[in-house]
Amino acid sequence: MNQNRHGRPAVFLVARREVRMRLRSRVFVGGTIVMAALVVVGIVAASLLAGKTNPVRVGFSGGSQALEHSFTETAAALGAKVTVSDIADVTAGKAQVAAGTLDVLVIGSATAPTAVAKEAMPSNVESALSLAAEATRLSDAGLSPAAVTSAMALVPVQLLAPPNPKDNENLFASLALGILLWIALGQYGNMVAQSVVEEKATRIMEVLLATIQPSRLLAGKVIGIGLVGLLQLTIVGAAALVAVHVTNVAAIPAFGVASILSDIFWFLLGFLFYATAYAAVASLVSRQEEVQSAVAPISIFQIAGYLLMYAALPNPSGPVATVCSLLPPFAPILMAVRMADSDVPFWQVGLAVALIVASIVGLTWLAGRMYTNAAMRIGARVRFMDAFRGKASS
Amino acid sequence: MSKDRSLEIVGVSKRFGDTVALRDLSFDVRAGELFGFVGRNGAGKTTTMRIVLGVLGADAGEVRWDGAPLDFAARQHIGYMPEERGLYPKMRLAEQLAYLGELHGMADSEARVSALRWLDRFGLKDRGTDDLQALSLGNQQRVQLAAALVFGPDVLVLDEPFAGLDPVAVDVMGAVLREQADAGLPVIFSSHELELVERLCDRVGIIDNGKMVAIGTVAELRAGGREFLWIDVPAAPDGWDPGVPGARLLETDGSRLLFELDPGIDGQALLHAALATGPVLEFGRVEPSLGEIFRTVIEEAAS
Repeated sequence: MNQNRHGRPAVFLVARREVRMRLRSRVFVGGTIVMAALVVVGIVAASLLAGKTNPVRVGFSGGSQALEHSFTETAAALGAKVTVSDIADVTAGKAQVAAGTLDVLVIGSATAPTAVAKEAMPSNVESALSLAAEATRLSDAGLSPAAVTSAMALVPVQLLAPPNPKDNENLFASLALGILLWIALGQYGNMVAQSVVEEKATRIMEVLLATIQPSRLLAGKVIGIGLVGLLQLTIVGAAALVAVHVTNVAAIPAFGVASILSDIFWFLLGFLFYATAYAAVASLVSRQEEVQSAVAPISIFQIAGYLLMYAALPNPSGPVATVCSLLPPFAPILMAVRMADSDVPFWQVGLAVALIVASIVGLTWLAGRMYTNAAMRIGARVRFMDAFRGKASS
Repeated sequence: MSKDRSLEIVGVSKRFGDTVALRDLSFDVRAGELFGFVGRNGAGKTTTMRIVLGVLGADAGEVRWDGAPLDFAARQHIGYMPEERGLYPKMRLAEQLAYLGELHGMADSEARVSALRWLDRFGLKDRGTDDLQALSLGNQQRVQLAAALVFGPDVLVLDEPFAGLDPVAVDVMGAVLREQADAGLPVIFSSHELELVERLCDRVGIIDNGKMVAIGTVAELRAGGREFLWIDVPAAPDGWDPGVPGARLLETDGSRLLFELDPGIDGQALLHAALATGPVLEFGRVEPSLGEIFRTVIEEAAS
């Protein structure tokens, strides 16, 4: 007999079923909306935080208006962001400071100005103003502009270990992406575990295994749920990009295209790693209630990766972050976060990818073996070593 | 090892730990034949079927189909209904059957058409978009049979297909199995309902302790066994012994006596002995039911 198969490969069919069933479920639709909402809220919050570093608005009135030019230059040299404006009326200017529409009002003459602020005077603004006034006094005392410039020269500073050009906002953005990756890996990994147990609990496993090899069933499941996850992340990512565009936080590198592509890459590797592990342990139990305790040992690695992310972020190139980001269970989150937050040497990325790919290959073999041996054993929880060795039972 | 589209189980043994489930089991199910597989609980019926389907591996022996060892590709053409029913509770009927059809190698559209055809056949035409869990247990069982048939199998292996069905559903199920056998498929099913097996099956196999202890048509099983005779001898004294070797008194019902004759013993000798006591009001052979054959065979196997 052996008629030719007209149909599609079994792995494709299993994956397609997973995709269809999940896209139709309320859990998927609701989950996607909630995730997208959380991400948008996060980005809006980040943009509001970024708004705190708005330039200091400095108004000059009367004679002090002569200081505006040198003040702006000095402030720039000191790294203070300022905008300057002319204020005609001192009383109105003070009212503006009190109302918060102006941060600093400068009154008095160019050589002896007085600064009016509401609660506190930003120190670098105060320094810039003092220096500008001092330059005016030196100039009035008869020094040539060149002499004034040389007299006022700032002390050059040499940094032996300059901080990363990517700034604080980027740290938060990286952290947010890391959290999103962590949630996604946990969620889709659990989905695979639930799906494996569902087939054991509903006994359809016996019908399926009469027509499909366990390894293909496993592969179809992981691919199908992976695609669903990718779709969900794409929707959430699109919502994020719209939010980024609207709120103008696009300057943050972690929200850039390269960074998002790298996150998707790490999500896929992390998903394959964790989904395979989840599927293997889930095949040991027969009831939905037992899934959580079965996957607990793997969840521990995931939670550890999450905690390590907080430890690693402040110093993404430090020894702890470097070593942990190379280890397969942590690499999907830690390497993604490090890459978003700083420049990671190429060899480290390559090594981390090589290690996790090798682990995925090993895990697939192990999971296929456990799945085959445990899939038909309904009832009592199967012990790990029995599933590994394929010990028969009645 | 014939190349005639029959299913052969050849010297299959299986052991679970210290328990021997199947001992060198051999039998065949021929094309176009409805084969009843009977035996006590734990005799090895389900294990045999699982080995045929490759869900379980045999320790020794092999399963052959159409003269060749049954490999994974050939197993795609077996319709299987496991003892533990199993389908997706939260999947629509038509979609679920089409999915199983495709897993067995059907093309997409072909599988969908076939799924609807079988739902129609089982009176579930209007419920194709319902989830399985919305159906009664009896209807779920019909869907389970449809799942075994949807891809147009070459062999049917059904574990307890009649368990839990109402009389109408039993008739529908029986008619479908008969029809599949008549279409040339070897059909094997297990059941504890021996009357049903006797009525439906072309051949019956009785398994006990992992061994096939009797196999053949019901008539063959009867012929191979003993003969049973009722004699009504009102004039015979209590404890009358006809003095015929190989004839044993089984039951007494007033003046009616039931004798069991060993194979080859002529009933006429018993009649002569009975006539010697006086009038004989009744003398008749009893056709043992499959149930009686089953009990006798199992007892013999035990001794």
